[in-house]
Amino acid sequence: MEHDVLIVGAGPSGAITAKRLAEEGFRVLVLEQGDWPDYSKATVHREDFPLTAGRDWGWDPNLRQAPGDYPIDDTESDITALMWNGVGGGTVVYAAQWQRNMPSDFRVKTLDGIADDWPMTYEDLEPYYVRVERDFGISGLANDTAFPPGEGPPLPPVPLGPAGRRVAKAHNDLGWHWWPAPNAIATRDYGGLHACQQVGTCLQACAYGAKGTADLTHWPRALELGVELRTRARVRELIVRPDGLVGGARYIDADGNEQEARAGVTVLAANGVGTPRLLLLSGDSPDGLANSSGMVGKRLMMHPFGTVVGVFDEDFRAWQGPWGQFIHSLEFYETDESRGFVRGAKWGLQPTGGPFSMTSAYPWGAENEIWGEGFQDAVRGRLGHSTMWGIIAEDLPEESNRVVIDRVNRDADGVPGAKIEYRLSENSRRLVEFHQARAKESLLAAGARDVVVAPFIRSTGWHLLGTTVMGTDPATSVVDAQGRCHDVPNLYVFDGSVWPTSAGMNPTATIAALALRFAEQLIETRREQKVAA
Amino acid sequence: MALTDAQRAQLGAIADQLIPAGGGMPSASEAGVAGQYLDEVLTSLPDLGPALETALAAVDGLEPDAALAVLREDPAAWGVLTAVVPGAYFMNPAIRAAIGYPGLERRPIDASAEPDYLQDGLLDSVIARGPVFRPTPTD
Repeated sequence: MEHDVLIVGAGPSGAITAKRLAEEGFRVLVLEQGDWPDYSKATVHREDFPLTAGRDWGWDPNLRQAPGDYPIDDTESDITALMWNGVGGGTVVYAAQWQRNMPSDFRVKTLDGIADDWPMTYEDLEPYYVRVERDFGISGLANDTAFPPGEGPPLPPVPLGPAGRRVAKAHNDLGWHWWPAPNAIATRDYGGLHACQQVGTCLQACAYGAKGTADLTHWPRALELGVELRTRARVRELIVRPDGLVGGARYIDADGNEQEARAGVTVLAANGVGTPRLLLLSGDSPDGLANSSGMVGKRLMMHPFGTVVGVFDEDFRAWQGPWGQFIHSLEFYETDESRGFVRGAKWGLQPTGGPFSMTSAYPWGAENEIWGEGFQDAVRGRLGHSTMWGIIAEDLPEESNRVVIDRVNRDADGVPGAKIEYRLSENSRRLVEFHQARAKESLLAAGARDVVVAPFIRSTGWHLLGTTVMGTDPATSVVDAQGRCHDVPNLYVFDGSVWPTSAGMNPTATIAALALRFAEQLIETRREQKVAA
Repeated sequence: MALTDAQRAQLGAIADQLIPAGGGMPSASEAGVAGQYLDEVLTSLPDLGPALETALAAVDGLEPDAALAVLREDPAAWGVLTAVVPGAYFMNPAIRAAIGYPGLERRPIDASAEPDYLQDGLLDSVIARGPVFRPTPTD
């Protein structure tokens, strides 16, 4: 066997796992269906960048249709699934808002009587948060009062900026929580990262190498350690052997030829849509592989997203800055049942962009009043003078929200696509409405002369979680607390698919910490590990 | 791709419904939204050209305000129009100057500076309030 471990997917969880296993001498092969990001297209100083960014750095695979993408039928979903299929995965285009989950996120059954507890606690994961924060070059300030005290990230936080200071003062007056926000944005040169230049284009890839993305923070070292990375390698199915173990994967290479990759252990790191898609496409059973529980693909959680924007007299020069978040607030994160729902949301304060963004329906409203008489004055009023809260709302796991195989729409190599079926729950709807109302109060208290609650839009499914649920009972979960499939002892899932509940946080910090913990557990138990010989 | 003079005139008239002259600034057509800056937009995003032609053909012969009303009801056409018109308008350097937009500038973070919230005690009341999270329950 040429490789000890095969990893499917070169995003953050795949990169973390590959690097860590290679450090311990494992022979690792990674198959990635997309390419390396082409930063020559991060032409942030060109006047046409606001127009070309959507084409070159767009989040929706159905619109982008890059070689590494596959179709996702979202006609029966309230939210579209967004992702970046390439080396670095979603970190290439994330906003770099780096949020640990809070202790209650791991104990929602015990504390709130809903869904499931995680088979681990905040304290179990805390050392791994510390380590991945060093690896990704996280900036922030330790001892946030919304988290247990402990070691914080390695770099100082991004500046609050005039908008952050103004809203922070308002929260002090209201008695509401705020804290200098944690970001995967280097505030000075650090490892292979460069200091942030505050051009505000984090969401369209960083042109300056300041954002902590796995292609920069992990892949160079992983390759030095001997990890073999094959891009444009689209996995069609896992190889299931007669003894029930997985022997690797069949994939289609860049030239359209089918290949086999064989390894003793296989790790899936293909995100909350790609991982269940692959399991459902594998094996002889119509239910797919590792699915005796029937839970593969179910409990899809995507975080309904709310935005509330305030317009101020003060000039914040709000087309720039880290984006990212200046400050965050977790004031309303914990459950208060008197509000009419359970769980909560995290708020992150962000810039609002350049002139072109001032005319867009999001966040300014579909019945955009900017057109016609007064257009120029309206643009001047918003441009530079606005800031917005982005609200990440916790989504409860529901079996009817799910990923299934779409045998009609296929990718460029003929592999069936995915379909998502997702409806916003009543709890999520109430939660978002409550938080939007409080965020409006926050901005008014900060002195906003106008506050706009953005309309609900579908294209906000950045966070793809829950579709191979982790648990201790094989009857109700897909993987155990080590990320190992209950049904297949040499098959693992190390990505966000394993989350039992979604928390109300940007998920990459916890995806990363979990992947590192899973990798360490795989290393510790290597002697007992069943492998496909 | 090149639009005909008639198509450009049609686009200019519709664009002026979206961006009339005001605030001491020119209208869309006066600012070159159907001319030089349309060409720049379509050079950057050639795929918009056919979509724009389709949208214009659908409202050929209508008065500008009636055309706009039709285009508003067609999400694809409206999407193209609201990309092309402001996109081209803000390509014009005189327009950017008039709204006070210098473009994106490199402003490196100075991490050596002492954070202002430490100097003026902005965080003090947050810290004084104490923890705001529920700790992990003990069995």
